[in-house]
Amino acid sequence: MNDYQYDNQTVKLFIFSSIVWGVIGILAGVWVSIQMWNPAFQIPPYFTFGRLRVVHTNILAFGLVLGTLMGMFYYIVMRLCKIPLIFPKLARLTLYLFNIGIFLGLVTLLSGKTQALEYAEFEWPIDIAVVILWVIFATVIFGTIIKRKEQQMYISLWFMIATIIVIAVIYVVNNLSIPVGLLKSYHLFAGLNSANVQWWYGHNAVGAELTMAVLALFYYFLPKSTGLPIYSHRLSIVAFWSLVFAYMWTGAHHLIYSPIPDWIQTTAIAFTLFLIAPSWGSVVNGYYTISSDWSKMRTNYLTKFFLLAIVFYGLQTLQGPIQGLRTVNQLIKYTDWVPGHVHMGVMGWDALVLVAAIYYVIPKLYRTEIYSIKIANTHFWLVVIGQLIFSITMWVAGIQQGVMWQATSPDGSLMYTFSESVSASIPFWKMRTLGGIIFTVGMLFFIYNIYMTVRKAKKPATVSLEIQEVKA
Amino acid sequence: MANEEIDNIEKFEAKETSKKLPRGWLILFIGLIVWGVYYIAAYTPAISGWSQEKAYEESLKK
Repeated sequence: MNDYQYDNQTVKLFIFSSIVWGVIGILAGVWVSIQMWNPAFQIPPYFTFGRLRVVHTNILAFGLVLGTLMGMFYYIVMRLCKIPLIFPKLARLTLYLFNIGIFLGLVTLLSGKTQALEYAEFEWPIDIAVVILWVIFATVIFGTIIKRKEQQMYISLWFMIATIIVIAVIYVVNNLSIPVGLLKSYHLFAGLNSANVQWWYGHNAVGAELTMAVLALFYYFLPKSTGLPIYSHRLSIVAFWSLVFAYMWTGAHHLIYSPIPDWIQTTAIAFTLFLIAPSWGSVVNGYYTISSDWSKMRTNYLTKFFLLAIVFYGLQTLQGPIQGLRTVNQLIKYTDWVPGHVHMGVMGWDALVLVAAIYYVIPKLYRTEIYSIKIANTHFWLVVIGQLIFSITMWVAGIQQGVMWQATSPDGSLMYTFSESVSASIPFWKMRTLGGIIFTVGMLFFIYNIYMTVRKAKKPATVSLEIQEVKA
Repeated sequence: MANEEIDNIEKFEAKETSKKLPRGWLILFIGLIVWGVYYIAAYTPAISGWSQEKAYEESLKK
């Protein structure tokens, strides 16, 4: 080891830790989906729906996704800037802080300690740790970019910078709270202001972490793994700047028909619809890139991950803005349509890009090939089918709920009680669990594939033997 | 750093098309900005007089 080497160990450990958190988060998701139709799966006090659901969302968003992203940011920044990380020890420190933070988050959420703000459930001591972690992370990434040896900044670097700044701003502001005990605090903002700040945070957390950061990976790993150059640099830059400009205004679309002032809702809706343009800029760019050589779909197993990911990103970013329109929103708000929408994004777009990135990076770091392309293909189809079952059943269930809640008899009274809409949703909830299980099995194939790739790389003798077998 | 992989940025971008903005996409982009201006004007109480409350009362009359 000398100073001039890339810090690959930190990248590897980030990927492995995030996979461990991913297993916990995904299993928690399957578990809460069963609780929706079978109350026997509630195990108080720790494993009730109210606690497990936030474990599911937080551990996946911050454990699986953020962990992978941090590792991948380190991986990408070194290569695009053509220098090692300028503070490798600080990078390693972020790995430890990250894991300690997620572990404490898991324990406190299971203990029922929560700020009761969606995606900002972690209580204030953990928030402080997260801010320290983020400052160190930003120092390493920004420092490396400043000291870079490559003059031109590729689009991925822009998306990484935006992600880090946006998360820093929104996380600090929404977590401003007044502590009244070690694990209890009150939001600094009250009433409508609290709701408005919360959804400004909530929506941009999704925008930064699950959109901008994943686009950074998409724009990097698509050309790297397929060898296809990105169709238009200008299109990616225009899409980047308009995306970061528009996102910040859209949070209030989560509060349509609420007591939030009309003009705030209207402004949020207008900007939300505008977001179709920058999102589809990346969709068009990705599609044209892959369509420049369709034979890659056959010859490179990762191409289809990127193609389907960008297709689901396109559907997601069309569906999302349409949901913001008042007439559509009044039908689907508070229904299961919304988790259907979210899961198309996370299972269909984010998960596909992240696993494709890991499939590319792990063999590179271990100087080997992927253990089995067949298993990767099985994994791919299982997660796509699982995701589609999940999303489609939830859209149908959501529309059914919305229609039932609004249906009135000629005399003006409600036609259905709320519990009737619950009973009518149960078959769909069961199918969602099925979709979730298929997705989970797919992810187990993925983890097995990665595990075997690493194991194969660590035993050089077996590798050569296997290659000989294949050749024979 | 001889053994380490470094990226050649040139390989990331298609040369012939790197400055292109597809026309259909550009129409969408500008169209959504124009629509956004219209929408804000039409649904902001201080500009058009529309309000959520009025819309609700009108819906009751039907």
